[in-house]
Formats: sequence, structure tokens, C-alpha cells
Amino acid sequence: MPPFALSALKYALLALLYLFIYRAVRSVAAGIAPRPSPTAPSGAPAAKRPPRRRPPTTLVVHVPDGSRPRTVRLTGPLEIGRAETCQVRLDDAYASLHHARLQHRDGAWVIEDLGSTNGTYVNDRRIAAPVEVHAGDVVRIGKTVLELRR
Amino acid sequence: MSAVVRPRARSGLWPALGFTLLALAISLLAYVLAGLGKRGHVPVTVGLYGSIFAVGYLAAWLAIRRLAPGADPALFPTAAVLVGLGFAVIFRLSGGLAAEQATWIALGLAAFCATLFLVRDHRQLDAYTYTIGLAGLVLLLLPIVPGIGREINGARLWVRVGPVGFQPSELGKVLIAVFLASYLAEKRELLRVATRTLGPLRLPPARHLMPVLLAWGASLAILFLQRDLGASLLYFGVFVVMLWVAAGRFAYLAVGGLLFSLGAWLGYRAFEHVQLRVDVWLHALDPDKVFAQGYGQLAQAWFGMATGGLVGTGLGRGSPGLIPFAATDFIFAAIGEELGLLGTAAVLLLYVTLVGKALRTALACPDAFGRLLATGLATTVALQTFVIVGGITRVIPLTGVTLPFVSYGGSSLVSNFVLLALLVRIDAGPAPPDAWRPGRRT
Repeated sequence: MPPFALSALKYALLALLYLFIYRAVRSVAAGIAPRPSPTAPSGAPAAKRPPRRRPPTTLVVHVPDGSRPRTVRLTGPLEIGRAETCQVRLDDAYASLHHARLQHRDGAWVIEDLGSTNGTYVNDRRIAAPVEVHAGDVVRIGKTVLELRR
Repeated sequence: MSAVVRPRARSGLWPALGFTLLALAISLLAYVLAGLGKRGHVPVTVGLYGSIFAVGYLAAWLAIRRLAPGADPALFPTAAVLVGLGFAVIFRLSGGLAAEQATWIALGLAAFCATLFLVRDHRQLDAYTYTIGLAGLVLLLLPIVPGIGREINGARLWVRVGPVGFQPSELGKVLIAVFLASYLAEKRELLRVATRTLGPLRLPPARHLMPVLLAWGASLAILFLQRDLGASLLYFGVFVVMLWVAAGRFAYLAVGGLLFSLGAWLGYRAFEHVQLRVDVWLHALDPDKVFAQGYGQLAQAWFGMATGGLVGTGLGRGSPGLIPFAATDFIFAAIGEELGLLGTAAVLLLYVTLVGKALRTALACPDAFGRLLATGLATTVALQTFVIVGGITRVIPLTGVTLPFVSYGGSSLVSNFVLLALLVRIDAGPAPPDAWRPGRRT
């Protein structure tokens, strides 16, 4: 076999190696860094579709251990946190005892951080004041992801 | 905490198969290329070894798919690429070693699948803290037992029973990591309390520092009884890192570092071969010494890597046979000669990927035992890679350990596959209840 063919194959091998590394590293990075479009199975970022801002009717709780998500109907005010008294109890070391409150106010659902240590994130933005949430929005508390659905 | 781990979509079938096939393609291309470069034709064993790789990798993929469907799609394939590259270099060095290595790869992949099958939930290991710890300790100390222990290359590491020789410490290191994770997960609240201050350090009560001293003593015992520098450093390093992660106190890392320095100094004073290693490290290319006993290894490795340059001579077209222990301890230098800087950088990046994924697993794991175990296993791979690659590139004095997944060696390969299976298991969470139940007849 001519040497140039061997060299070409050598470069092909190195290229394949780096292709593998690129794809594998990208999947690590994608796993750790919060991306603009988070885990909602519907996929599309809610913020970019202003026409479809409907009120949510259910809250889906995704626990990081990969077990089946819990579904909570939105009827009255919900307190979210690690405390026994919370309507949505989280077994999450990064959540505060009384972490956040979700309640109906003036015709919309509003989430409010109750002075938690690690903060409440709506669509990957930490909230400072009560924020209106809509179907398709994603709330993150500690390692737990709460998804609002119609 | 800025790093947030998102729950992964569970339908990762095609990415996993894609990564596995890419790993298979890289392994086979490297192997065929090594044959072409060395002998000028496609190796005659291509059917045999090719099918071992194809069947083995796909079986592992299938096992992950059935038994651990939530696992990271690239975790196993990353290790598979390392195994494939290592095999190509070993094949290029010696056909006989390659035949043995192919057997070990098949056995390792079988051990990988068996571990996934038997350990259906990593938490079931948490129930046997002391049994596993004791088993690990016995495996570590087995080579000292007269009659079955063998001394090879100045270190007492091998056990030979009849015709079968193996290095029990390789499997021992996995068991010790399981034991430490289980023990520390239970005791971490106690270890977290700091009562006294010593300068800038806040120290926990003295009796909680005892385990550190005990582990230090055990590492020194390994160093003195078995004269195995690499393993001694590895165990102590993994222990200190796990303790640090469990307790979240920097003091443990600082005390561990001090004890390590003291141990290293004691070892240097006590053993001539340690002094020789340090001298070789400092004067590897000294023209007055390079021909003396023990000095040539590093010089050959360095000349090999220098010959490789940026892209290497090409697999099978260099002369890594001149490097001593090129298939085991010095395989990184052999890769450097034939695949160049780009090849060695790729190998290091593969380890970064593997360790990164393992640490990500630790971050996402919901229970303390799993978090600590994943951290410990990741540290084992990372530290072992650092010890041998650092030794070859003269960052630290050389101590002989294998390059995980790449080097020739059955005990090392099989144990590393067991380690990888545990990582995959922790990453995926418990096996689906209906997947291949043990003991169910159909």
C-alpha cells in the first residue's frame, strides 16, 4: 500500500477520533449547562411564542432520579418545599423548607419565591419578585424541574 | 451550585447505538491500519478480532439498552474507543500479546454485562459495607501471602495459582471504592463537624480524623510490603478525595496532602528504588546517566514521542518496540510515537470525557452513596491516568500503573470494565423491573 494512502487513513482515524470526542463532549456539556430551551417535552421555548400564553392547569414534577414524574392539579394555592406541610413536597437537598408559592391571582397563576437559599428559576431565570407563569413554562427548584401544562 | 443537571430524556436509543458504532469503527480502523502499516496487508486475523469487537460492543450496547436504559449514551463508547486504540497499539507491538488482549477484552465485556445484570440497583451494594471492605482488603494483601504471591519487576503484586496469574489489587481498588462510599455516606454528618481551628484550617475532632490516619497507614503498608508506589498513591489519593467530598471540608484535603508528603519522604528515605525513580525523573536525558541501569526507559519514551511529532509516524510505521514496557506502562508513549501529539491529546480528551461524565453522574445521583461511589470511581480513573501519563511526561516521578482501558493486562481491563458498569448503573438508576430477571425461566 502506498505511503500516502496510509497517511490518508491515519488522518481519517484522527478525524474520527476527534469527531467522537466532539460529539461526546457536547453531550456532557449539554447535560450540565442550563440551556435556553430546557427539559419541557414539548421542547419549544415558551418565551418565544407569545401568542400561546394560556393559563396552566397542571403541574408536572420531574424528580432528578429519573423516576416517574408526579402530576399535581392546580386548584388552589400550592406551597412548594421540603417541609411536611407543603402541598408539593420535594425531596431535594437544594430546596428550602418553604421554597416557593404558586397561587392564582387576578386571573393568572403567579409563582413567588419565599426567600429560599438557592432561588427559584422560571425558564432558567432566577426570579426576584412574583412572576406570572403560563402553560409551557418550566420552573426549577434545586435539582427538581416543575413543568406547567395545560 | 451553578451546575444544574437536567433530567435526561429516556428515549436515547439511537445516540447510544450511534456512539457504539462510531467506537467500533474507530477500533477496527485503528487495528486494520496497524496491520497495514506494519506488514503492508490487512491483518489475517481481521475476521476473528473484528467479530470479537463487533459482537462484544453490540452485546454491551444491548445490555445497557435493556438493563440500564437511562444511562449516558456515550459513557460506554468512550471507554470502548480507548480499548480499541490500546488494542491497535498492542497488536502493532506483538501479535501474541494482541491475542491475549482480545481474550481479555471479551472477558471484560462479559464482566461488564454481568455486573449490569447482577447489580440491578447500585444501592444494593450499600448493604454489604464491611463484607465488601474486607474482600477488598484481602485482595490487596493477597500477593504478600507466601506461596502464591509473586514479585515481578520489583513489586509484589501478582498472585499465581497454577497457570493463572492475576493482579488482585486491580479488582481490590473497585471494592475499596465501594466500601469507602458506603462507609463515608453513613458517617458524613459526623465528619462534617469542625470543632477546632489550626491556623486557617478548621479541623474535625481528632477521633474523626482517625480513618484518615488508618488509610494513610494502609497505603504505607502497601508501599512497604509490596513496594508498589503507584497503587499506594492511588489508594490514598482516592480515599482523601472521597473524604473531602463526603465531608465538604477542605481540612481533610490539606491534612491528606501533608500526610502524603510525609509518606513520600519516608518512602524516599527507605527505598533505593524510590530514590532511583526520583533521580531518573530529574536526570532522564542526562548524557552521563542515560545508559545507566534504569535510566533508558524514559529517554526511549521521550525519543519515541519526539519522533511522533504532531501527527505521528502512523500506526505500525514507527518503532515503539524500542520503548520498554510499551504495551503496558509506556503505552502512552507508543501512542505518542505513532499517532503523535494529536493522538495523545485525543486519548487525554477521552479520559476527560469519561471522568466528566462520571462526575456528572455523581452530581445527578439522588442518594449519597451513589454520589460518593461515582466520585470515587471517577477519581480512580483520573488519578491512575494522571500517575502514569504524568510519569511518562515527567511531570511527576514515574510509577508503574496501567493506563486504564488502554494498557495490555487482563486484571486491569476486566476490573476497569466492572468499574465502568458500576458507573453506568449509577447513571441509569435502577434497572427496569421487567428486564431479564435473574432466575426467571421462560
